[in-house]
Amino acid sequence: MNTFATKFSTTSAVGQLRKAQKLAAEEDEFSDAAWGSEAGFGNVAKGAPSFTVPAIPDPAAFLRLHTDDHADPSCRIKIQHGTTTLAFRFQGGVIVAVDSRATAGSYIASGTVKKVIEINPYLLGTMAGGAADCQYWETYLGMHCRLHELRNRERISVSAASKYLSNLVYSYKGMGLSMGTMICGWDKTGPAVFYVDSDGTRLKGDLFSVGSGSTFAYGVLDQGYHWDLTDAEAQELGRRSIYAAGHRDAFSGNTCNLYHVKEDGWHFIGNYDVSKMHYDGPGNVPGAPGHGYGYDIRVEGRSSANPPEASS
Amino acid sequence: MPDMVSIAQPIQQSFNPYTENGGTILAIAGADFSVIAGDTRQSEGYNIQTRYAPKVFRLTDKAVLAVNGFAADGNMFVKKVRQRLEWYRHAHAKDMPIRAIARLIQTMLYARRFFPYYVYNILGGIEEDGTGAVYSFDPVGSYEREACRAAGAAQSLVQPFLDNQIYFKNQTPAPGTSFPAHLPLQTVLSLVIDSFTSATERHIEVGDGLEIYVVVAKGSTSAQGLQNLRGVQELTATDDGERVFVVRRELKKD
Amino acid sequence: MFLTRSEYDRGVNTFSPEGRLFQVEYAIEAIKLGSTTVGIRTPEGVVLGVEKRVQSPLLESNSIEKIMEIDSHLGCAMSGLTADARTMIDHARVTSQNHAFTYDEPIKVESVTQAVCDLALRFGESVHDEEAMMSRPFGVALLIAGIDELGPQLYHTDPSGTFVRYDAKAIGSGSEAAQSELQDKWHKQMTLKEAQILTLRVLKQVMEEKLDQHNVQLAQVTQAKGFEILDETKLKEVIEGM
Repeated sequence: MNTFATKFSTTSAVGQLRKAQKLAAEEDEFSDAAWGSEAGFGNVAKGAPSFTVPAIPDPAAFLRLHTDDHADPSCRIKIQHGTTTLAFRFQGGVIVAVDSRATAGSYIASGTVKKVIEINPYLLGTMAGGAADCQYWETYLGMHCRLHELRNRERISVSAASKYLSNLVYSYKGMGLSMGTMICGWDKTGPAVFYVDSDGTRLKGDLFSVGSGSTFAYGVLDQGYHWDLTDAEAQELGRRSIYAAGHRDAFSGNTCNLYHVKEDGWHFIGNYDVSKMHYDGPGNVPGAPGHGYGYDIRVEGRSSANPPEASS
Repeated sequence: MPDMVSIAQPIQQSFNPYTENGGTILAIAGADFSVIAGDTRQSEGYNIQTRYAPKVFRLTDKAVLAVNGFAADGNMFVKKVRQRLEWYRHAHAKDMPIRAIARLIQTMLYARRFFPYYVYNILGGIEEDGTGAVYSFDPVGSYEREACRAAGAAQSLVQPFLDNQIYFKNQTPAPGTSFPAHLPLQTVLSLVIDSFTSATERHIEVGDGLEIYVVVAKGSTSAQGLQNLRGVQELTATDDGERVFVVRRELKKD
Repeated sequence: MFLTRSEYDRGVNTFSPEGRLFQVEYAIEAIKLGSTTVGIRTPEGVVLGVEKRVQSPLLESNSIEKIMEIDSHLGCAMSGLTADARTMIDHARVTSQNHAFTYDEPIKVESVTQAVCDLALRFGESVHDEEAMMSRPFGVALLIAGIDELGPQLYHTDPSGTFVRYDAKAIGSGSEAAQSELQDKWHKQMTLKEAQILTLRVLKQVMEEKLDQHNVQLAQVTQAKGFEILDETKLKEVIEGM
């Protein structure tokens, strides 16, 4: 065991725990930073955020026991789950599309969740897994991106930003964080998409979909994707893929939020009701087919319910 | 070797610092007001511990916080939020805007990510631009601004009713008319009272008393007529800002 | 070794029998060696101006950085030991970002100034059993300009950790002449344009070289655009308009 590294590491899970337990022991609530000009930045006052951890041998098991980690619906603390998110790179930038449903067990906790996190005017992050984990760490990432540009007089690259996030969540590995996110933006290298998750995976790529409905979204996405898509076609593909996931995945649905990242930063394209898309289509928007996405709508009633008369 | 390690360490079978104390909270935002309400029953299992344990707390003249879940965590959390508001007032010589309180609550909840407060928070009040606001939180701090939200034991009874009455879900307006963007205070108060009387009828953990906090924007006409309401009390601390009222009502006690 | 009177200016946290902290006073003296820096507050925004001493024709004047951004609504100009200012400004930036992260709102100008001054008092201080972070007071004064809900504001901080709000303030080697000039010329309803020109006029008076777009720097904080450093073409326009 590399005791030297463990002793001085400030980022390992063990190190974090030790630090947090030590803080809890010496009444961390009344640090100097609670007073005066800093007026309590709370757990961020000491630079990197610190966390309260129960003083027991295995805090991660404690957390697993009491919080809803996919499997156990009987536990008390329900953390919002279930999602479809997607992002892809193409000739005209990056398309980011997500659904808006949050579930706690089988209860739909919210149908209006904002799963695209606007880190800053040219960086977007998506939200899958623990809602709070994504919201908190991506906001925190935004703060560091801003410090980076103040200190270096240059915007942070998507690659660097995603690596920062990746290293951050990796330092909490095994402690129960849950996030699967795509960091999307436009930098000197052009449009960029990085997939980052709480296991520590970080992948650069053209096309990703994350969440319980991702398989359905991939089905539509893979079929319609190519680099030379026009802006309107690409936006339609994003919408259509989220619709498909909302339609087939019980944990996804309600509405679709669509964003387009271009050279001058991201643009919010629109919010589309999944049911409305099924029956009437997304409305009068670029790329819209002019009719509903639902197959029962497209076949105009010629389905198994009223089959053509058998010729006998 | 692994055996020796496990002998050397104390073994704790399960550490369970949480319990569920029932009750329901609810908040609705209007154009220039916000209503935050909660029942006052506190129970553990099938035993009613008390018929009056407040779950809704005035933080400032423009912000009211409702907490539901584990009462001990909830009370401590409110205490700590108030402490942070006081520090902020000393450091920045102003009351914290509700948007800032919302973010503060997120960071405070998330600081306990690995030892969560078992509380569902709903924050209601008036935004700096004078509009009514409701923010809802999960136990570890994910939050969102909404028009209305119910949480707690009867969440699944009350929220669908609100979806129908506030968001007009599954309703079609009569030909030639449209649904209002914001409901008047009188209508909202009736909805809140109906929500709680109905929840009391169908949920064993809801009942005893009802506390409805009403925060009204500076100079708003919504405050008129509020004084004549049965069981109303004004809690406003300053003369020239938002106004806070509380309406106390009885709920069934069986 | 025994203590003589002159020993009182050695320790950074030892008062002299007259009740003075010599090292802090010497630090304030260090600012008077610095280049002249001017700040003017108007109802439209705040203007900051500095003199850049270009000691050699081989020196790249645009590498001298004496006005820095703290956040999009906050800027800062310095005079004295500018290296010390980096620490202070980084602290201001981190404080501003921490505030935005914790409260989802821009920090007030006074609060960020207070934070910088808290840092300025940390010399000779050790927390618990750690080594002291700084061994001497900062040798730099700052003019912090910004806009918040109370409107445009200008603050002056010095090595003693004192901060004061000004309508117009000059610091650095030419500050005495510059300050009296500001006192004559500043008025309540000044426009931003007038403030820019006044800043340059004041700098011109106290500068030895002929003022041009290479040896001064101008920045402003306005409601519409926040903090911005005027680029050479814009600066040239203002200079030509003098």
